[in-house]
Amino acid sequence: MDFIDLKAQQKKIRASLDIRIKKVLDNGFYVGGEEVGLFEKELSLFSGAKHSIGCSNGTDALMLALMALDIGPGDGVITVPFTYIATLESIAAVGATPVLVDVYDSTFNMNPDAIDRAIDESEINIKAIMPVDLFGLPARYRVINNIAKKYNLKVIGDAAQSFGASKGQKKVGTFSDITTTSFFPAKPLGCYGDGGAVFTDSDNYAKILRSLAVHGKGSDKYDNVRVGMNSRLDTLQAAILLEKISIFKDEIIMRKKVADLYREKMKHLPIKFQTIPKDYQSVYAQFSVIFNDERTRNNIQNKLKENNIPSVVYYPISGHLQSGYQYLNYKKGDFPVSEDLGSRILSLPMHPYLEEEDIDKVLRVINNNI
Amino acid sequence: MNIPFADIKKQYHSIKMEIDSAITEVLNDTAFIRGKYVTRFEDNFSTMYGINNCIGVGNGTDAIYLALKALDIGPGDEVITVCNSWISTSEVISQSGASVKFVDIDSENYNIDVNKIEAEINENTKAIIPVHLYGQPVKDFEKLIAIAKKHSLYVIEDCAQAIFAKYKNQYVGTFGDISTISFYPGKNLGAFGDAGAVISNNDDLAQKVRMLANHGQSVKHIHTYEGINSRMDGIQGNILNVKLNHILDWTSRRQEIAERYHSLLKNIDDLDIPKIDSNASHVFHLYVILANDRDKLKDYLAESGIGTALHYPTILPLLDCYKDLNYSESNFPVGFNNSKKILSLPMFPELSNDEIEYVCNKIRDFYS
Repeated sequence: MDFIDLKAQQKKIRASLDIRIKKVLDNGFYVGGEEVGLFEKELSLFSGAKHSIGCSNGTDALMLALMALDIGPGDGVITVPFTYIATLESIAAVGATPVLVDVYDSTFNMNPDAIDRAIDESEINIKAIMPVDLFGLPARYRVINNIAKKYNLKVIGDAAQSFGASKGQKKVGTFSDITTTSFFPAKPLGCYGDGGAVFTDSDNYAKILRSLAVHGKGSDKYDNVRVGMNSRLDTLQAAILLEKISIFKDEIIMRKKVADLYREKMKHLPIKFQTIPKDYQSVYAQFSVIFNDERTRNNIQNKLKENNIPSVVYYPISGHLQSGYQYLNYKKGDFPVSEDLGSRILSLPMHPYLEEEDIDKVLRVINNNI
Repeated sequence: MNIPFADIKKQYHSIKMEIDSAITEVLNDTAFIRGKYVTRFEDNFSTMYGINNCIGVGNGTDAIYLALKALDIGPGDEVITVCNSWISTSEVISQSGASVKFVDIDSENYNIDVNKIEAEINENTKAIIPVHLYGQPVKDFEKLIAIAKKHSLYVIEDCAQAIFAKYKNQYVGTFGDISTISFYPGKNLGAFGDAGAVISNNDDLAQKVRMLANHGQSVKHIHTYEGINSRMDGIQGNILNVKLNHILDWTSRRQEIAERYHSLLKNIDDLDIPKIDSNASHVFHLYVILANDRDKLKDYLAESGIGTALHYPTILPLLDCYKDLNYSESNFPVGFNNSKKILSLPMFPELSNDEIEYVCNKIRDFYS
């Protein structure tokens, strides 16, 4: 059993993928070819975001968003410790400082109640809030946007795991000033290498983002008007993504079916799930469950492994406890919910092509050992 | 006759079977992020180049950024580089938080003027980034290395355009502390998308670059440094594995083309052909002449179906993004004057002898 089965998906679309790849190879425009623009259009159609801009990866996407908002040395950005390191890392990479608030124990996403206090207590100038849509579930953007408005802050949605998710009729890409995503192969919409995108409804931000991603270019390639970076989505990857986005809607439904099956089959067990609030649709980048204690979690993970069932702990060490981030001067106990989740959480195999019998195998191991 | 400035399609078609099966191999294995094909390329390259470490990264710009970060260069530090290069060289210095100091170029070699470096060194200077531009090693490179040593400065060789060029029979990129490469599709060794590498004989630095390029991660979930995400894609790694088998042939052909250009253009008073340092081999990523009436010549060639380019139309210190540094033309007389005369002629291994002759005849026509 695979944790994420890229081959099952590939089998389904291989013939058309090969045609698309061949076309890119023959055309010879390996950087900035027409597929990039076509895919960006598809992203906007899918999400409803006015502008979609491809880039090298999800981390760069966050850096580009921060740079577009002119966030750098001396500035603070509020985010969560319970996330992949790229979130904090992007803030540090532009020279700004991550200021952390804890997450909800229900949705695992940013707890907006903690933001006011973080702003009050912070000695640095907070410029933005960066919520993370963990495991594919959008954060509480309505509430967070209101707080941002009150303090005149910008909001950057880290949607690395949640492209395709929605709340009501609105889709990820339209919830904040700027939204970023990742097309890392294991993501719900993934390419065959590194890739990412930035979304915004603002014409001005879009213009700046496009410039920043190509060395701060101005009207032409050799006219550099700002300090930028090199962050482009390869034409080959855009072509692959064009094929994948054509089946993405169906795959989101299939992912939800797998998640619903897991929930139904485990409801009698002493296990907690990520709460999906009313009107929210997760894309289930991960299906993560919470056990009663760390010992049970570790035991189950070992037993799964003995039965050749992969599982992963996302994330065992919260951002504030990572050795590269000790200079932020946080300590153990500062973010009890994040730390607690990290000690009891386990992500189970999840992909659109997971069979019910596979789910039953996972269940059997958990049932027998809990 | 229609002669493009560069044509990467011709090269693909000359090795189509090999490239196609290299891509198929990666797809079948779904080895997309780092993985065995990237590792294989890193091993192949370091063996061929005679260097201890090669780390595949996202692109040539990231490569220099990672080198700076690995050397702990940041706010408060100064880095010396050359006034004529692609923007990446200086852009990453600013990205790291350090300040950039530009030096003029040598009038014959078009690379950093080694004799003007020491004037820019002060107590904040941490490193020099020499660029082996157009494919030619920096003139008096040994002297540059000696200056760096004398002042305890690091040397980051920007080899984006010059891999497999030799200075005194030794490959560029093997002299400094750490060196960087770009595999942008149009490069002598080009991938089919963005890719780059950092090379070094210093194992500790290499290890640090490897971590920094992968989120500062030592083992999964343990982030020892604040890093970035900059990885070579598996697909690109395996394409480069194929191309590495051909690079020496392609390089020889570039040198052959340059020889032909030399012999057909050498007697024209209105232009200067590239001067090759007797201590070095030039791999001719670009064949750059200095031409009187450059803009008119460029237009004339375009009308004749010949593609040319400028590398680079504006020297770095005079770009808008550096206007805060208050440099003027008079700070870089050689670089500034050259930027008005440079013209890059068509240069790629698949260029035919007839095409070279056609280009040279048209240039002759223009000046006659």
